[in-house]
Amino acid sequence: MDYEQFRLAIQGLASDGYLPVALAYGFVVNALIAGLLIGPVLGGLGTLVVVKRFAFFSEAVGHAALTGVAIGILLGEPYTGPYGSLFGYCLLFGIVLNYLRNRTGLAPDTLIGVFLSVSLALGASLLLTLAGKINVHILENVLFGSVLTVSAHDLVVLGVVATLVLALALPLYNRIILASFNPQLAAVRGVAVKTLDYLFVVLVTLVTVASVKVIGAILVGALLVIPAAAARLVSQSLKGFFFISVLIATLSTLLGILLPIVFDLPVPSGAAIILVAGICFALAALARALVPRLQGNPA
Amino acid sequence: MTAAEPFALAHCGPAIDFDQVGLVLGRTQILDDVSFRVASGSVHALVGPNGGGKSSLIKTLLGQMPHRGQLSLQWPGSPGVIGYVPQALEFDRGLPMTVDDFMAAMCQRRPAFLGLSRHYAGAIGEALERVGMQDKRKRRMGALSGGERQRVLLAQGLIPAPQLLILDEPMSALDEAGIQVFERLLQDWQQAGITVLWIEHDLEAVKRLADRVTGLNRRVLFDATPAEALTPDRLLTLFSTHPRAGGLA
Repeated sequence: MDYEQFRLAIQGLASDGYLPVALAYGFVVNALIAGLLIGPVLGGLGTLVVVKRFAFFSEAVGHAALTGVAIGILLGEPYTGPYGSLFGYCLLFGIVLNYLRNRTGLAPDTLIGVFLSVSLALGASLLLTLAGKINVHILENVLFGSVLTVSAHDLVVLGVVATLVLALALPLYNRIILASFNPQLAAVRGVAVKTLDYLFVVLVTLVTVASVKVIGAILVGALLVIPAAAARLVSQSLKGFFFISVLIATLSTLLGILLPIVFDLPVPSGAAIILVAGICFALAALARALVPRLQGNPA
Repeated sequence: MTAAEPFALAHCGPAIDFDQVGLVLGRTQILDDVSFRVASGSVHALVGPNGGGKSSLIKTLLGQMPHRGQLSLQWPGSPGVIGYVPQALEFDRGLPMTVDDFMAAMCQRRPAFLGLSRHYAGAIGEALERVGMQDKRKRRMGALSGGERQRVLLAQGLIPAPQLLILDEPMSALDEAGIQVFERLLQDWQQAGITVLWIEHDLEAVKRLADRVTGLNRRVLFDATPAEALTPDRLLTLFSTHPRAGGLA
């Protein structure tokens, strides 16, 4: 297989000393490639999550992944990648949530709060019931991510999802923004506002679920929010907002994967990724406080 | 979808017929038996108290409300472009989005973070020039004054060049210079034969600028030229009946 050869070539270069030593391990190469796929997509889509104020929603979808994994194990899917149940349950979660959001008249955060807690309760019950059957480390991997288990199969799933999300989100980027500013104006300009809302929910869900392996169910939503939030603090245009968010998300993912390996720390990859992103956010907040130009443009 | 038509057709805008339009939301009658005609190429003002159903009528016209009665647009040729200038935008004031970014997001397909597309850059520049915002294209939307933001909203209504324009209180936030800009635009549209349906509170401006005015308070109270319609008597009726209580009498 082409990818196998490519990975072996990288590993070879690393053991010969041309690349960092960590890359001599196959799983590190896999994880870094996963990071290169996830980072930009999460960072870019995150700008829309922030514009649409969907941060809490993406957190909730991430947590729903926990329940998805539990259902997968229950149904006998391989617990290293129960993608059927993961995608199925999370898509159902997102779509039903969005459907009710338009109909119950409840504030979105109230409704998400209800869904999130019920889903977590269901997931926790299932997982702990199953705990006897499975290795408890699986739980840790599901919750906080693990780079050890990223397989070529996972990379294929990630690659397909990343391509799909980019292919849909980029041409619709302006329309998603427009629909959030003024649905009526959007409708006049030919935007199918409601359909687009569902599509956005599906995109966020797909990319979230695909990233669970590396970042973990608890923290995956954070990488849709923190890089974009940090970028929003220090940018003055959409261009800066988007590309700084992509940069921070990619950097966080790669460093979060590499640092625990290089320094031999027993930190799960998801936690390390979010900690790096959190440091970026703190630096951005500090920069904004110290550099008056970032606070707005008086001129 | 060219940015600016090089020639102005006489009366290229559509006529609009409202025929016994009714709208009930929940148990409230918002519009009742609303019938009037907006002539092709005219500047038609819609006045009335708050809650009188002006915005709902616009929503109905834009196909956003389930309604009773007939509502038809009669285009002189094939259906053209409808432009809409909303009263306000809902967005996070701290969002890093410049005026150019906003215009790009409104008008073009190419993601706004990649900058203006070559196809629209000219039209966007021209539209911002027409509303006097060309010097503030790099300013953040959130840092603009209410009047400046309103001008940008007017500018987006110019792209692509519309044949029917629907304006929802476009003057409410405008300053003196902004009002002049708006009046110039209105004259341009009048000359180009574009149909303009214009919700407005400022009756002085309506008297000065509109071809025809309809008073709406759940039902049509008058529909005439501004000189005939905006007499003190008529205005007293228009603004003294409560929109909700009015129907019960």
